[in-house]
Amino acid sequence: MGSTSASDKHPVGVIGAGSFGTAVANLLAENGEVLFYSRRQEAVDIINTKRTNNGQTIHPNIRATSDLQEITNNCYLLFPSVSSDSFRQVMQGMAPFLRPDHMMIHCTKGFDIKLEPGKTILDKDIILKPSDIYTMSKVILEETCVKRVGCMSGPNLAREIANQHPAATVIASKFEEVIREGESAIRSKRLQVYSNHDIYAVELAGVLKNSMALAAGALGGLGYGQNAMAFLITRGLGEIIRLATAMGADRQAFLGLAGIGDLVATCTSPMSRNYTVGARLAKGETLQQIIDTSSEVAEGIKTVSISKKLADSTGIKLPIIQYIYKALFEGLNVEEALRYLMEYRWGYDADYM
Amino acid sequence: MLKSVIPRIKDWPINLIAQKRDKILQETISEAVLEFNKAHPTLSQLRDQLQKTLYLEHIRLRSEAWEVDPEDEKEFWGKVKKRLLQADPAHMDEDISKEQHQELLQDIMSRYANEIIGHFNPNMFWFARQLLVRVFARLFNSHFGGFKGIFNPQEKLKDKLIVAGPVEKLRNLSLKGTVILVPTHFSNLDSAIIGFGMDYIGMPAFQYGAGLNLFNSKIFSFFAGNLGAYKLDRRKKNPIYLETLKSYSKTNVLAGAHTIFFPGGTRSRAGNIETELKLGLLGTVMEAQRIHFEKNPANLAPKIFVVPLTISYHFVLEASSLIEDQLRRTGKEQYLVYDKPQVAGKGIWKFFWETFSKSTDITLSLSEPMDVFGNSLDEDGNSIDKLGNPVEIRSYFINKGQLKADDQREMIYTQMLGDKIIEGFFKNNVVYSSHVVSFVAFELLKKKLDYPDLFTLMRTSDEDREIDWDTFKTSVKRVIDELYVLNNKEQIKLSPMMTTKELDEIIELGITNVCIYHTNLPILRTKEGNITSEDLKLLYYYHNRLIGYGLHKCI
Repeated sequence: MGSTSASDKHPVGVIGAGSFGTAVANLLAENGEVLFYSRRQEAVDIINTKRTNNGQTIHPNIRATSDLQEITNNCYLLFPSVSSDSFRQVMQGMAPFLRPDHMMIHCTKGFDIKLEPGKTILDKDIILKPSDIYTMSKVILEETCVKRVGCMSGPNLAREIANQHPAATVIASKFEEVIREGESAIRSKRLQVYSNHDIYAVELAGVLKNSMALAAGALGGLGYGQNAMAFLITRGLGEIIRLATAMGADRQAFLGLAGIGDLVATCTSPMSRNYTVGARLAKGETLQQIIDTSSEVAEGIKTVSISKKLADSTGIKLPIIQYIYKALFEGLNVEEALRYLMEYRWGYDADYM
Repeated sequence: MLKSVIPRIKDWPINLIAQKRDKILQETISEAVLEFNKAHPTLSQLRDQLQKTLYLEHIRLRSEAWEVDPEDEKEFWGKVKKRLLQADPAHMDEDISKEQHQELLQDIMSRYANEIIGHFNPNMFWFARQLLVRVFARLFNSHFGGFKGIFNPQEKLKDKLIVAGPVEKLRNLSLKGTVILVPTHFSNLDSAIIGFGMDYIGMPAFQYGAGLNLFNSKIFSFFAGNLGAYKLDRRKKNPIYLETLKSYSKTNVLAGAHTIFFPGGTRSRAGNIETELKLGLLGTVMEAQRIHFEKNPANLAPKIFVVPLTISYHFVLEASSLIEDQLRRTGKEQYLVYDKPQVAGKGIWKFFWETFSKSTDITLSLSEPMDVFGNSLDEDGNSIDKLGNPVEIRSYFINKGQLKADDQREMIYTQMLGDKIIEGFFKNNVVYSSHVVSFVAFELLKKKLDYPDLFTLMRTSDEDREIDWDTFKTSVKRVIDELYVLNNKEQIKLSPMMTTKELDEIIELGITNVCIYHTNLPILRTKEGNITSEDLKLLYYYHNRLIGYGLHKCI
């Protein structure tokens, strides 16, 4: 099965030269040639000459380009790894060059939300329904002619992958052949690959965990230990599952690598952006102060806002989300928020299965 | 009536295919045998399947015999049993046993294919068309001579049976490829009404599957059997029958037969628009498109066009029995039948009489035609993306330059096509006043009584069923406002009556129309002017037509 992988004859394309895109390109390069897209010519030149990007060494099998069409002409298999904020725009830009025989496996853990002009997801008066939320695979299906879509998700911190640590990931797609192609392109001695057909659940798991990473940062910021963290992770998983089911997903994927696996990795990784936001919040900074001094808005802040609004419109109870929301957006002190959660009547354990 | 796209009935694809009956039969059988062996490659698997089929057919013969069944049915299956016993590989050379099993499979499939295959007779078609037009005309005339006179004499058939949507495009496409019409399914009359509607807009006749049970009626059998209906037997759920049926459908689509598939499988029992489709026959359409590409150069491969169609009725002939059936299925022990179901014995003529003689109508609302991948089409049938750029759909069947079958891939494509079809159903659902009043009345009752389940609600006593007129009217207004919003977003369509009449009149016409046919009125006004219902099940049924749009939030 593996002998006819896409990487045998054709290079694999990676779209987006952020830190995760770079890590993915390096993983793919172990099995064959990679064409690596960045829209900035400057970055392309540095990658091609200095062989480094985002602090990661670039594998010899990688060649960078700023020409999208060069990638779509030469590759069948593409790994878009661009932020959820610009994902739709990038897809719209690629659409004219894409063909029905392309396959795409995206690596973006985020939502795209269609809002009225001038509104942002952080606005208080926004009402969100599950149907307003687009996962990246839905964006691809809506904006391009590509149908064979998949995603890669799981506990895959870019820094650890760059440092050649072993890891496992999930490639999810409704299409067997997408999983097959993706797996044979990226599997290596340092990356174990699992498959899942429930791409929607896997995508949701990858995004919804971000709120919990933020809460984990807050617990860490307050100086609490592993008991509190385990409490958060377990009950947090419950809230993620409840929300995802209300959005129409099945539960199973949440117990796998892309669900609990990713949740544990992000909640216990003090280096992540989401964790840092939580920790700073706990130390008394306001959201505005945090946003003003960060280069980009941490995904977790958006996820909290989205989750809270979905909970409101679907009528489900998500206490952890509600209180992180209050701490982020309504000036509630983090310790107060935690006190409320400790007083909250939870009832039956593992009620989300 | 629009001019026929192909003037001579003799030149219609359906007739050309009917001429090749033997070829179609042979291809159906050989293809079915081939596919079946692919799925069950070993002798023991095949033997298992044959035994299973024999067993299921024995049960069918014993428990559910029909008049339409051939006389030698028992004899045939008796012989199958004997042959299966004789061919036991335990008692003979395996190769001989294999051969005998293959012969048996071939014979059963051949019998099924001969039962399924439809026939088309151009003269009969011409005759039936004349007859129907006359019958309709007579219904009108008798009314004009009659009493009420609520509509003007210019009103003709075209105001009664409205075909809405991209009619011209559909006509064009029928000359450029094979059209698969996929309608919602509410009534046994759907096929006839769609057939008539399509003829009315000048489309060549479609093939369609009709339940074998309908062929128990000699009149139906005589007409439908000559007008392109092939026979579907829902009793036969055995794997060999299903494979033969799929093969027949595929062979016809490949031969270029314009076909009607009801993707919901059976009539909607709850009265809602289908949200789950049976993808088996639709899968053969996907497969046929791939085979076209395999057998032809890219630019010459015939194309298949899929067109969803949403039917709107004010009232449905079988509403009572359908909803009874639905409640019994979903309710199980919670739902005990207290009243005898209302007998739908008034029959077809009453339905036609009421529909065509009173101020009521039927809409066949066509969705935008698409290719089997859900892409839009230009006037010539070329696939285009949302920016209007051409899409080479052949490449959807290609992996790294190689075009070949991949069942799992095609299954997912078929699911995606199913989603597009459902989207089309909902977007082009034409809302009638009767749908709105039923929806609002039931939602208000549900809210007022606040019962935990539907089944308690259904048994509410008469006095509890009353809804205050003002509340009702305000809610109808709110729902209509929301419908306008949805209409602007192209998520639903409004019938002309909804957009031209005043609120009071919309309500009145809605109530009148939904009640025209039923003995126990699903919705009516009390002496005090309030709203009530004599049949909550029916009210629920008609209410369901508008679920899935989030309208309950307006109540």
